[in-house]
Amino acid sequence: MRRLGLLITVAMVILPSLVFEAHAQDSSVSSEYLIKAGFIYNFANLVQWPANAFTQPDSPIVIGILGEDPFGTVLDRVLAGKKVNGRIFLVKRLKSVTDLKECHIVFVSSSEMAHLAEAIHLVKGMPILTIGEIPGFARRGGIINLVLEDNKVHFEVNVEAAKEADLNISSRLLALARIVQEPAADGKKTE
Amino acid sequence: MSLQNLSIRRKLILITMLTSSIALLLSSASFLIYDLISFRHLLTQDLTTQAEIIGYNSAAAMAFKDEPAATATLSALMVKGDIVAAVLYSPDGQMFAQYFRNDKTLPAFLPSRSQEKGYRFEGRYLEVWHDVTLNGERLGTLFLQSDMRQWSTRAKRYASICLVFVLISGFLAFLVSSKLQKVISGPIVHLEDTMRMVSAHKNYEVRAVKAYADEIGSLIDGFNTMLSDIQHRDTALRGANEELQTRTRELEEEISHRKQAQDELLKAKYVAEEASRAKSTFLANMSHELRTPLNAIIGYSEMLEEEAHDSATVETVQDLQKIRSAGKHLLALINDVLDLSKIEAGKMSLHLETFDVSGMIEEIVTTLQPAIEKNRNTLRVHLAEDVGMMQADITKVRQILFNLLSNACKFTDHGTISVDVDQSTEQGQDWLRFRVTDTGIGISAKQKENLFQEFVQADTSIARKYGGTGLGLAITHRFVQLMKGRIGVESQPGEGSSFTVHIPAQVKLEAVGPVQAEGDSDASDAIVEVKTGRDTILVIDDDAAVRELMSRFVGKLGFNVLTVASGEEGLRLAKQVRPVLITLDVVMPGCDGWSVLSKMKADSELSKIPVIMVTIVDNEPRGLDLGASNYLIKPVDRERLAVLIEKHRLNRFTTITRTNAVPVSRLSHGHKHGKVDAEVSGRESHAKNLTSRR
Repeated sequence: MRRLGLLITVAMVILPSLVFEAHAQDSSVSSEYLIKAGFIYNFANLVQWPANAFTQPDSPIVIGILGEDPFGTVLDRVLAGKKVNGRIFLVKRLKSVTDLKECHIVFVSSSEMAHLAEAIHLVKGMPILTIGEIPGFARRGGIINLVLEDNKVHFEVNVEAAKEADLNISSRLLALARIVQEPAADGKKTE
Repeated sequence: MSLQNLSIRRKLILITMLTSSIALLLSSASFLIYDLISFRHLLTQDLTTQAEIIGYNSAAAMAFKDEPAATATLSALMVKGDIVAAVLYSPDGQMFAQYFRNDKTLPAFLPSRSQEKGYRFEGRYLEVWHDVTLNGERLGTLFLQSDMRQWSTRAKRYASICLVFVLISGFLAFLVSSKLQKVISGPIVHLEDTMRMVSAHKNYEVRAVKAYADEIGSLIDGFNTMLSDIQHRDTALRGANEELQTRTRELEEEISHRKQAQDELLKAKYVAEEASRAKSTFLANMSHELRTPLNAIIGYSEMLEEEAHDSATVETVQDLQKIRSAGKHLLALINDVLDLSKIEAGKMSLHLETFDVSGMIEEIVTTLQPAIEKNRNTLRVHLAEDVGMMQADITKVRQILFNLLSNACKFTDHGTISVDVDQSTEQGQDWLRFRVTDTGIGISAKQKENLFQEFVQADTSIARKYGGTGLGLAITHRFVQLMKGRIGVESQPGEGSSFTVHIPAQVKLEAVGPVQAEGDSDASDAIVEVKTGRDTILVIDDDAAVRELMSRFVGKLGFNVLTVASGEEGLRLAKQVRPVLITLDVVMPGCDGWSVLSKMKADSELSKIPVIMVTIVDNEPRGLDLGASNYLIKPVDRERLAVLIEKHRLNRFTTITRTNAVPVSRLSHGHKHGKVDAEVSGRESHAKNLTSRR
């Protein structure tokens, strides 16, 4: 009950400022993706890319959506006009996995569950922040996995994967996250 | 006890402690305030820093709307004891996460909405507002509230430290000032003790001890100097006191001595007065006793002499003359001695009356006629025109002139004696001047010195040659003095002497006494009927010898004589006979002369009859007071009596007033009637020139 109240409250806070149009146009799009779009923006804020990830200091942060786009226009609207460290956002709907290399953030849609390993394998070692919404995504080599629990969005972070991608995730972000590891790699077992 | 009356010691301590305490309190307070202010600033900074950290840490939670995470972050403030509340507000001002130290519930004072960033003090609390940002984007606002318990704890601790410090330092100041104040109060207290000792015991030998050379030191010096001054004066005063007491004792002794002497003197005075009274009484008695026999001797020798002229031999007449002369000399002597003793006793009084000077001169000249003729002298009398009346004691004036003229006659042989009378004005007063000049033996300068002294004659040889008592000039001198006049003499031995007497024309009595205005003999203005034939004279005397003598003498003057022996008889006879004149004795058995006189004067029939007192009692003033016309003292000078009787008879014949007519008579020694000199008016232009006939 309380959680629901809070959720509603959060929705009320964020909706008018971020996704007024989405809220007005497409009420079918759940508030879940509105929140997830905000999360992506916050992740961009709290993650540091290596210098070679961008060609220019003001090169846009390219966000690629792999698979079916669950956001619709929400993500574009949320990120429109926003800047992080002087960089604007550029959202791309990827047709093929080869386009992955041009991206800085890759959102792996739940439709790509079958191709998940291939996708993770493709971006491995590259400074690309992978965000998924598939259960076990982080444990399988993804960096951040968004989890919906009790009507509230949480996220898991695979610190090892982030290190491999040469991405520096802020401790403030980690403090809010659930840290997960790949069980196959070193046998450790976390949540 | 008021603050001003505290002792100097307490005052000094109080001042020191007050001063130090105030300084200490001020410095402590300023230090405390400065420290608290800077500490508050520090707290503010601290809280701001705290807010920044919390804000930073909660920024991600705010971004991901992770309320539990934000709450957890805020809960980290638990370790900060002073932070009471911490609240995170979302950008729209809604409360997002909160932390309360004591309670989970929302305190009433908490702001419900976010406010401007910065810090402010609200009551006891310090509040900080801080923006929570992420990469420059504002995500919300953080509110921190501190109760500043560190600050108040610190303030309390500081205050108590200060208090303790002040107390301790005050105590120390008390100790130090208690010790140090003695430097100032010690000498003062010592001075005060010394002063109290001096004033309590009057001990001026005490000195205060000077401790330091400061103001109090000089005060002590001054005090000591003053003390020694006082000591000196005290000693001097004590000495003076003792001396004064000695002197007082001496004076007291002196006074008691004098008192004794005074008492002795008083006793002596009483004795002397007693002796004097006895002497006076003796003299009075003696004079009476002496005169009574003399009266008889002279009277009878005169009578015998007259009778002897006709019958007896020349030798007998001469012998009788010697007896008479000796008797008269003796009488004169007695009179002189009595007069002098009266003068000496101060009992000689003046009996003033107004009289005619020329009349008096006339009388004297008449009386002295025999003496003038004795040495074949010539008498010249000169009265100035303006000489008229004078007021004086006629008896004494007469005696003065009589004495001077007697002397002139006595010491001049075949010469001229002049009497000059004139009037002058000196010092606003009229004076009559009588000058008696002779061409006799004169007086040497040496003799002049003692001329007016009693019992001293010009030369002892003179007494042998000329006789006399030597009292005449002395008495004259005294009489002149009595009337406030003066007497002088000019003389060359062998060429004669000139005596000048000045007497005031109006002699005044010094003391208030009975003043006899006028003698009845002169005052009689009444016109008396002139009787033909011989007039009657009544003689009243208890002494048979006197009656006989008077009867004979008056009969020779051409009067009828009636004699009676008592006053009562006299009064009765007087009324019957109406005599022209009455002679009256005083001392008589029964009714005495005074009362007879009083009765006569009280009787309207008899009051006009002139009465001549003929008595041994020397009290002329009383007789004249009672109304007597003249007063003769026994033994009677018959020549003078004759003159007086003649005068009264003339008064009866002529209507006179005293002021414009004066009887001038020429009397021979032959007991004949005088006659009225018709040349009265001639007196006014010429001086009268009276010379004796023989």
